[in-house]
Amino acid sequence: TQNYREERLTGRDSLVFLVDASKEMFIKGEDGAPSNFDMTMQVVRTVYTSKIISSHRDLIALVFYGTEHSKNPNDTFKHVYVYHDLDEPGAKRVQDVDALRGEKGAKLAAETLGCGPSSLGDALWCCANLYSDIKLRLSHKRLMIFTCREQPHGGDNVKDRQARTKASDLKETGVVIDLIHLMKPGGFDVSLFFRDIVSPPEDESELGLQLEPCEKLDDLQKRVRAKEQKKRATARINLCLGDGLNVAVGLYATAVTARKPPPVKLYRESNEAVRSKTRTFHTQTGSLLLPSEIKKAQTYGKKQIEMEKDEVDFIKKFDDPGLVLMGFKPMEKLKLHHHIKPSVFLYPEEGEIKGSACLFSALLKKCSEKNVYALCRCIARRNNPPRFVALVPQNEEVDDAKVQINPPGFNVIYLPYADDVRTLDLPRCTSASQEQVDKMKDIVTKLRFKYKSDAFENPVIQKHYRNLEALALDMMAPEEVEDLIMPKVEQIDRRLGSLVDEFKNLVYPANYNPESKPAAKRKTADSGGGAEKKPKVEVSMDQIKVHVQNGTLGKLTVPVLKEACKQFGVRTTGTKKQELIDALMDQLSS
Amino acid sequence: MAKSALILCMDVGFNMSNSGPGEESPFDQAKRVIQKFVQRQVFAETKDELALVLFGTDSTKNPLDNDDQYQNITVHRNLMVPDFKLLEEIENQIHPESQQADCIFDIALNVCVLVENTTIHKLDRRNIVLLTDLNSPVSSDNLDVIIENLKQADITLQFFLPFPAEEGDGEAPGDQDRRGPGHPGTGKGLSEEQKEGLDMVKHIMLTLDEEEGLEQIYTFSAIEQLCMFKRIERRPMAWPCQLTIGSALSIRIVGYKAVTEEKLKKSWKTVDAQTNQKDDVKRETVYCLDDDNETEVQKEDIIQGFRYGSDIVPFSKVDQEQMKYTHDGKCFAVLGFTKQSSVQRHRFMGTQVIKIFPGKDDEHAAVALSALIQALHELQMVAIVRYAYDRRSNPQVGAAFPCIKQDHECLMYVQLPFMEDLRHFTFPSLENNSKFTPSDEQLSAVDSLIDSMMLVEEDEDGKQKDIFKVHDIPNPAFQRLFQCLHHRAVNPGTPLPAMESWLKATLECPEVIRERCQSALGEIKNKFTLTQVEKKKKLKTSAQIFGKDSDEPEAKKAKEDEADEEFNLADIAEGSVTSVGSVDPARDFRTLIRQKTLTFEEVCKQLTHRIEQLLGNKSTDYYMKSITCVEAFREQSVKLGNADLYNSYLQLLKSSIPTQGLESFWELLVQDGVTLISEDEVEGSTVTRNEARQFLVTERIEEAAAHPAEDPGDVDDLVRIVLL
Repeated sequence: TQNYREERLTGRDSLVFLVDASKEMFIKGEDGAPSNFDMTMQVVRTVYTSKIISSHRDLIALVFYGTEHSKNPNDTFKHVYVYHDLDEPGAKRVQDVDALRGEKGAKLAAETLGCGPSSLGDALWCCANLYSDIKLRLSHKRLMIFTCREQPHGGDNVKDRQARTKASDLKETGVVIDLIHLMKPGGFDVSLFFRDIVSPPEDESELGLQLEPCEKLDDLQKRVRAKEQKKRATARINLCLGDGLNVAVGLYATAVTARKPPPVKLYRESNEAVRSKTRTFHTQTGSLLLPSEIKKAQTYGKKQIEMEKDEVDFIKKFDDPGLVLMGFKPMEKLKLHHHIKPSVFLYPEEGEIKGSACLFSALLKKCSEKNVYALCRCIARRNNPPRFVALVPQNEEVDDAKVQINPPGFNVIYLPYADDVRTLDLPRCTSASQEQVDKMKDIVTKLRFKYKSDAFENPVIQKHYRNLEALALDMMAPEEVEDLIMPKVEQIDRRLGSLVDEFKNLVYPANYNPESKPAAKRKTADSGGGAEKKPKVEVSMDQIKVHVQNGTLGKLTVPVLKEACKQFGVRTTGTKKQELIDALMDQLSS
Repeated sequence: MAKSALILCMDVGFNMSNSGPGEESPFDQAKRVIQKFVQRQVFAETKDELALVLFGTDSTKNPLDNDDQYQNITVHRNLMVPDFKLLEEIENQIHPESQQADCIFDIALNVCVLVENTTIHKLDRRNIVLLTDLNSPVSSDNLDVIIENLKQADITLQFFLPFPAEEGDGEAPGDQDRRGPGHPGTGKGLSEEQKEGLDMVKHIMLTLDEEEGLEQIYTFSAIEQLCMFKRIERRPMAWPCQLTIGSALSIRIVGYKAVTEEKLKKSWKTVDAQTNQKDDVKRETVYCLDDDNETEVQKEDIIQGFRYGSDIVPFSKVDQEQMKYTHDGKCFAVLGFTKQSSVQRHRFMGTQVIKIFPGKDDEHAAVALSALIQALHELQMVAIVRYAYDRRSNPQVGAAFPCIKQDHECLMYVQLPFMEDLRHFTFPSLENNSKFTPSDEQLSAVDSLIDSMMLVEEDEDGKQKDIFKVHDIPNPAFQRLFQCLHHRAVNPGTPLPAMESWLKATLECPEVIRERCQSALGEIKNKFTLTQVEKKKKLKTSAQIFGKDSDEPEAKKAKEDEADEEFNLADIAEGSVTSVGSVDPARDFRTLIRQKTLTFEEVCKQLTHRIEQLLGNKSTDYYMKSITCVEAFREQSVKLGNADLYNSYLQLLKSSIPTQGLESFWELLVQDGVTLISEDEVEGSTVTRNEARQFLVTERIEEAAAHPAEDPGDVDDLVRIVLL
């Protein structure tokens, strides 16, 4: 929804894959490792399916160059094959890309594309036309070149120059050109040709060009993913250090719970989407109610209290949006269990207040050095009540392939208020002996693995999309989904071997079965108490009235309340306890 | 269920209204304490019951009133759940009275004990709170009997006095701030009766609780502690399950939600503004095709489908149920173990932390779980687990951290992300950029700012003291809402009050810190240059948004010509127009005004109803249509020289922007320059030309200041917005 809303204001994102289809791309690696072309197709497929899930309104195109056959509007360009023009990805397109994967894919590519001479200039020109043919407003335009050839024209100066001109034309229209260079024997020298083709990196660093060529699918996936997702600030606000000293920052949602999308309502006859309109009208007169004709109300202590709509907002408003610094605390004061929602990421907005990045950078460096976090009051958007947050410094981190793993900035951790921390009755615990602990340590050590935060797919969402895919493509059955968060029981059992029994012998008595229903003996001991509980008694109408008067309806159970509603002829739509109580109160207290 | 009964027992005798000049009388103070207390109970919606007993009243009304001894005691309200009626009664019916009976408070206590015993419910706690200035003569004759009664009924006692109990005994240092500065009445010294009474109070309290009895004697100024509405308490629900490692090892566990963002139990209902009745307002959702006529579609003709990229796949509920992911239900299964450091704090997902304890009354489970907790703790590792609450809910992946405290051990479960949840944004490096690299001077300025603003300090004993504990602050949103609701209920018809000062103060940087950081802050201001970037706000005209760029004047012109033609055609057909329809409301409006069959007011009313309807759709196309309506409204109003209807409508519209989420619509309106009708245009308009222009200008500034920021997006949030 959020992307959709933003897009309405700014336009759609677009992405063109421009893939080299020369014969070098089809050379298999050692030991039958997949060819560069095969890897590229896998990545393209991943992007297609992830876009379908996360941002289906983005436009994607897939274009090959260095082909024998040509396919483009009016066939203006030789050796350029537009496999998919710029459009929203759908089931059919995923299938098309699938067809180009693996052994069979190489064969199909040889038949439909073929290998021919390259002209990157023509290819870029063709892509420029793809963009200009789009009638929609485009916000972010990106073009990724996949190749393992550092000199696509084999040193032909004319063609090189032509490509450079076309590239700079494209860049001028706001297209960002990236090079995803793939492994070739002898290494890939970016400076020979591509340096002048690609867009300069966002920062001053030469990071983009120092990158080693991608060799493994994993690296390739990561590099493409890092570029492919356009970052958008969910809010741009000021971080006030005190006394009108403001640093402009942007908040970025880096982890958002992906949910199954809501269904679309369709008209049975035509399968076209319908729109819903919600109207508020007067029950008696049937006329539509203007905002000025309704009020908001809540009931407390048997009294309905009314407010105007703008008063409801007024109550929620504490201050204008912004972050206000309260002070600093040592990192160890940040408690692990003080977690109420996913964190967001903070990065300076030099474009709003010049100098923000420098002060932000100093703050980040010092917080990190001194191992402290900044405590702030945060109002992320208008009419939001304040929350306190911890700004936890995060230094930039890159992996061996120089791909950024952690960006520099602060992670914003939301902290709980007193109301959010529940008081628990702590059960008295018996501690384990060192022998028992040591045995468990053996078990833990046997089952060690390296956790990666992106290692688990959501089986619910995956299953949902496989089902849709199957229906969309008239497949016989949906592709199987591997449930990655299912414990691999057999493997675990095998690895643990006799350790489990040894541990059980240490902690459990012989006849103990943890699977059985909780302690049967307790039941017999308490059975007197259990029997005392009388079967549900009907509460008389008088008793209900007394409860209404005393405000003690809450003591009654839901079935009793429901029954009471029936007896008094109270209409209720709700089934929750509070709704039933409210309904009874409304009717009987007046 | 844990429940308690509490009796507020207040002295209203004539002695209570004595006060020094300019001082609040003990009576007024005591009344405020009671008000705050009851308020707190009402909003906490506890089922705790509360009674109010007054002594020193002119009349007598209590269960023992046939006995001569029990005169001048009124049971104002028996034990029941407190409500607004009680609050109103306290506000309006409780006044200082003129009696002063001897030995009154010990007798009052007796009545209270009796009242406590009237309740038929099983109670976990009984409490009596006595508010008096101890100025009535007391006798200690039956004190022992009273104490015995209290003990037997297991009733705890609290006193609220106008002066501190330790006065004269040499007050313990450090207790100062608990009581707050200035105790009215203390200046004059205590009367003989008060001294005697105080001794007796102390005697009672110490007899009841030797160790902490005296701590239950408060002064009236303890009201600051009562100001906070009670924090929301929820009974933790036990979640029994088995922790499994492979197929052969399982441990009985029980989980409790330990931390989660608490929401209010109640939400706003919509009521009719005139009748205040909920039943008078009905909300209805209708479905229609996306065609010009907005053809309505019946509910039974609607099927559901899902998007798969550009495709919409019809997918019935039945099919969906059959094909969806299913699992075995409740589960807490270990997938493996990993280093604690590989689970990053900022990757925590979900909205809660669950604490896992051993199964109830199961010593063996306790030992087994303890072994796991300690093993993880010693190895600095965590368990990665599959967690499913029950069959209906989606399974999660999460981490179980070991947590070892002095008095308990447990696992803490937090949800971790799925691959689909993560967005891998890359940000430009800050280090490699010379423009952003701070100098050493700048770094040291920041260094001293941090030092001056440390919220955790070591005191003389080397103990750490945290002066700003967020988890001790009550959610200000709740406090503020309750304050306003209370105000509206007790003072109907008056505007809402400002935020209470104590609440404001809890949200601010502590005074000590603010003073201490002044010089460091000044240093930063000197060392860093921060300049607001003047942004020329991109002027979006509605036409641009609508998809026509300004460099297509030809096309636009043609479109306008077309519109003119349409208008002429409409003229021919205008006979058939009887009301403002939805297809072209602006045209209908103009036609109807020309026809003069309906009054101007009536036609305007019809038009504004259409506009409301259109705006309800929240989409650019409908905004465009609405703007043409507003423009037509303006044009005809000027023509007819009647500005009032239009002007008041536009003002109403403006005021509804934040509530209706019409910011982008308003932006279009501003850019199209649709403003109020000024007196220059229509004689009799109450708006000056400047005001008309200002009407839009101010809005633009506000707009720029309050950037419509988006929340990371949460289904709960969305649901809440819908409910409003």
